[in-house]
Formats: sequence, structure tokens, C-alpha cells
Amino acid sequence: MAEKKDKKVLGPFLRNISVYLIAILLAFAVFSVLVALMGFDIFRALRTLTTTSFKSAFGFQETIKKTIPLIFTTYAFTIPFMIKFFNIGGWGQMLMGGTVATVVGLSLAPLNLPAVVLVPLLLISGILAGGLFALIAGYLKAKYDINPIISTIMLNFVAALFVNFIATAPRFKDPLEGHPITIPLPKSATLPFIGGIPSSIIFAILAIIFVYILIKKTRLGYEITAVGYNLFAAQTYGINFAKTIMVTFLIGGSLAGLGGALEIMTIHGKLIEGFAKTSGAQYGIFGILTSLIVAGDPIGVPIAAFLMSVLLVGADALQRTMQIPVELVFLSQALIVLFIVVIRKKFSVRR
Amino acid sequence: MEFLNNFVTQTMVYTTVYTLVALGIVIAGRTGIFNVSGEGVMLAAASSGFITAYLTGNWFLGFLVGALMGAAFGLMLAFIHETFKVNQFILGISLVILGGGLSDLIYKIVIGVRLSAPEAPPTPVVRIPVISNIPIISGFFNQDVIVYFMYAATIVAYWFFYKTKIGLETRAIGENPKAADVVGVNVVGRRYLATIIGSALIGVAGAYLPIAITGTYSPDISAGRGFMAIGIAIFASWKPQRAILGGFLFAAIEVISYQLQLISGNIPYQFFLMLPFVSVLIIMMIFRKQVEFPASVGKPYSRE
Repeated sequence: MAEKKDKKVLGPFLRNISVYLIAILLAFAVFSVLVALMGFDIFRALRTLTTTSFKSAFGFQETIKKTIPLIFTTYAFTIPFMIKFFNIGGWGQMLMGGTVATVVGLSLAPLNLPAVVLVPLLLISGILAGGLFALIAGYLKAKYDINPIISTIMLNFVAALFVNFIATAPRFKDPLEGHPITIPLPKSATLPFIGGIPSSIIFAILAIIFVYILIKKTRLGYEITAVGYNLFAAQTYGINFAKTIMVTFLIGGSLAGLGGALEIMTIHGKLIEGFAKTSGAQYGIFGILTSLIVAGDPIGVPIAAFLMSVLLVGADALQRTMQIPVELVFLSQALIVLFIVVIRKKFSVRR
Repeated sequence: MEFLNNFVTQTMVYTTVYTLVALGIVIAGRTGIFNVSGEGVMLAAASSGFITAYLTGNWFLGFLVGALMGAAFGLMLAFIHETFKVNQFILGISLVILGGGLSDLIYKIVIGVRLSAPEAPPTPVVRIPVISNIPIISGFFNQDVIVYFMYAATIVAYWFFYKTKIGLETRAIGENPKAADVVGVNVVGRRYLATIIGSALIGVAGAYLPIAITGTYSPDISAGRGFMAIGIAIFASWKPQRAILGGFLFAAIEVISYQLQLISGNIPYQFFLMLPFVSVLIIMMIFRKQVEFPASVGKPYSRE
């Protein structure tokens, strides 16, 4: 009895916070041990890892630059995950979004369209490309019962080859570049930086609002939540499961596609093979980790994405200043997730 | 004829990779564990196995370390799942990411950046006399020892699951763990064993890539094969004898896609390289009606 009372006093918020704190402390402990074993200064490493983002304007701008695409790939995983399906293809959907937006931008370049027309056109083509690409996986699940873990990964490889195809196509390739890179997009198809912050942040904020309204205020969001909570009850109530699967993949992929288009239009200004990566690893991977950290709850995504980006900026700094491989930080991030899922499960088993 | 010979020889090399990973997934799946961590296990085993083989100059130690690395991942998967009942897919995906990070990390720490790629010692080749002189058939029997290991593993797995009493009991766990438990089968223990042995096989496949196929380690060397093998395990209805068929099919597609790419002509070569990935989906679509899953695969089991 006494224990039950304690839990009530603690409340879900504190309980959640303690899950995160324990998991992060454990992961940092493992990180510190490994850093020490490799013969580096633990405290300097921890300080670099956690504070680089806040020490300079540049560090903070870098963090925001990583947070924006990460929010999109995290949503790409999170929304299908609400009905317990795994979209591992956020990265491929981001690639398709960026690539198709580039193709549209370069193909329309001779028309000299103004930015008011060109920018929305590229964004929409990115959204459509990412969404339809993810819909393939949703359709294969709904109609052929093919596990999305497999289909989305296969589509990632297809997308990466498609990027290579466009970036080396004679029509688009920059002849002066050795690496597969296209010629630059027309200026009117790109988005500016404002005070060192990419203006794509506006679309990230819009995406956050969109997801919040979708999940909390619309009938569709209610159906998605219902299917995730209890499939049988939801079906009895008349919700079409196959349709829900396809819709969640469509929405998740659209957001990743938008993220890809924004990445090209803001950061690169052209299609580069190997974009949609940070610290040498795919944004899709970090999106999965971020989403699992917040247990697939769309509302927690922006904060978690920001904190992940802080660690990624710290990881870059560690490699630059202390020669500690970035992979050590990736490993610690994966450990945070493992610790969180274990501890969270432990809490919920006791309840 | 020469072309066909080469084709079979090359295909069997990749068949070994696909089949060992698929077998690992099949064995665990038979006890109800859906192991999707193959890609990460392969990478971790590829890097640790290659480093060992390179530093010791001993190919066998390389494969042994690869297998042990795989076993360690299997132990982790089984332990976390059985103890905390964490969802197998979440766990598997986390281990994929963990393995991916770990592989490059140990390589960077131990080997670092080299001007010329370090090379693994060669894996010994065994020619079976007489039959290896027959054209085409020779492609199957003029191979390195790991290919024969794959044949043996497939035969043993088939014999175990279908010809022995313990094997039958183990299959029963995958169908109905509660019933197996009631008749006295140690469900949790078997799940541990199957996952660890299965992951060790996946580890051997991972180590095979750098040690025997490419001769050196490079990041992302598994190139999605750990995930394609899940497709093979499903295509095989979790039967070892069909896993090797699936492995051969996927390997053949991969080898053909490399060949076509070289003679692609007007069609961009990227589309040929897409072929293996697209084929996985098409094959799964075609065969989905014939596929049977062990009834409890992917589900946690607790005595309640």
C-alpha cells in the first residue's frame, strides 16, 4: 500500500524523469570507462561532449542545423511506430525528398520562376516523393504482409542508388566535381540562413505543430492512437487497419521527404551524394534512436531531437579536439536507448 | 561453360553469407525469438574477426572471434528479452545500431587509418577430388572451408530440428511455448541457447565478408545482407533446408546484378545494383501465401 502511495506522490512526470536520468547516467558511465580505457581525460571528454553546443554561437548554430533534419526523421519513425510498425526507411525517404526536389528545381531553372513559386513547388515535390516512397512499404505491409523492417531497409538502398543516379546523370552533374554532385539550384529555389540559423527551422516548427494537431485534435489522429492502443477494439469500432497502416507511412515519409528537400534547399544548395548524414552516419539512424528514447511519443520529439543533436555536436568536437572516434558517442546513444527501454519496462512491470 | 563455372563458384561464396545469417535467424525463430539484429551482429563480427585474423595472421582465430562476438550479441538479446520482456524488434534494431557503431569504433582504435588496406590471411580452399573435376558441380566443391562449414551447419540444423527428439521439442517452443513448458521443456534455456548459437552463425557470416570475400574491412561491409537474410528466413518458412535455397537464390541475384552492371549499355548501372533489393520485395510478395511462421515467433513468454 505504502509503495502505491509513493508512486502517486511521485507522479508520472518524476517517474519518467528518473528513467531518463538513470539511463543517461549509466550510458555516460560506460562512455567514461571506455574513454579512460582508451587513455583520454574523462572530465575533459564529458565537458566537450555536453557543453560544445552552448559555448559559442557557432556550436549552437551547428546544433540547430542538426536538430532540424533530425526532427523530420524522428517523426518518420514515430508516426508508424504509434501503430507498432517500424519505419527504418526515414533516411531513404529523406533522400528521395531531397533528390526529387533537386530534379524539379534544376529542370525548372531555365524558366526563371520567382521564389514564391519555386520554393513551395520544391517543398511539395519533396513531400510527395518521401511520402509516396514510404507508402510503398505501407502498401506492402497492408496488402502483402511484408514486414516494414525489411521493406524500408531495402528501399533505403534503392534511394541511395537513385541519389547516385541523379548526381551522376549528365543532365545534372557538375562537370567540375569528381564526387557525384549536381550543379547548384537557382538562387530562387533556395532558402536563406537568418543569423546563422537555417530558415528551414520555420518548417520544422510548422511540422511540430502539424503533428501535434494531427494526433491530438483530428479524427485521423484519434484513429491512429486507437489502433496503436488496442487493434482489436479499434477494428470493432470500424477503423480500417490497412488504411491506417498506409496513412501512417504516408505521413511519416512525407515529413522525412520535406526534411530532405529543406536540407538540400538550405544547407547544400545542390544534391550531394552522401547528404542526409551527420558525423558520417545517417539521420535515419539517429531518428530511430531519438524516437525510441521518447517511446514513440510524438510530443517529446523536438526536445529529444535537440538533446541528441547536442551530443552529436559534442561528438564532432571530441573527434576534432581529442581524436576520440565519433562512433564512441553513437555507441553511447544506442546504450542510452537500451537502458531506457529496459528501465522503463522494469517500471511498468512493477506498476 | 567457363562462365557458368565462375558464376556458380562466385554465387556459392555469397550463398554462404546469406545462408549462415538466415540459418541463425531460423534457429532462434524456432524457439520464438525473432532476431532482426543480424546486420549489426555481422558488422561487429566483421570488424573484430578481421582485426584478429589480420593481427594474428590466423584465419581460424578470425572466424572464432567473429563467432564469439556474435554469441555475445545473442546473449545480450536473449538476456534483455527474457529478463525484461523488452519488445524483440526494438531490441533487435537497437542492437543493429550498437553493432554498427561498435564495428567502426574498434577498427578505428586498433587499426586506425592506413595508407594501404591491411589484408587478412587467406582462408584455406579444399578441393574435393573427382567431383570437383566435373564442370559446374565443381563450383560447389572447390571452395574455402567456410563454404563447407555452411553446408554442414545446414545439414546439422535440418537433422536436429526434424530427426531428433530434442529438435522436435525445440520446434514446439516456437509453436506453443506454454505447452512445451508444461511437458517439461526448459523454454527459457532453449531460447538462450538457440539465440546464442544462431547469432554465432551470423557472426561467422559477418567475419567471412572481410576475411574471405573482400580481404579487408570497410565500413558498412554487410551492405544490407543482414536484413535481406530476414527475408530469406521468412521465405524459407523458418526451415533450414529452404534457407540454403533462399540463400542461393539471393546470392545468384546479387552476382547477376554485378555482371549486368558491367555490360549495362544504355541503362544506368544503378538500376542493376537496385536489383537485389527490389528482388527481395518481389520474392516476398510472390511467396507470401506459402510462408508459414512459427506461431509464437516475436512474442515474449512468461509463466503466468
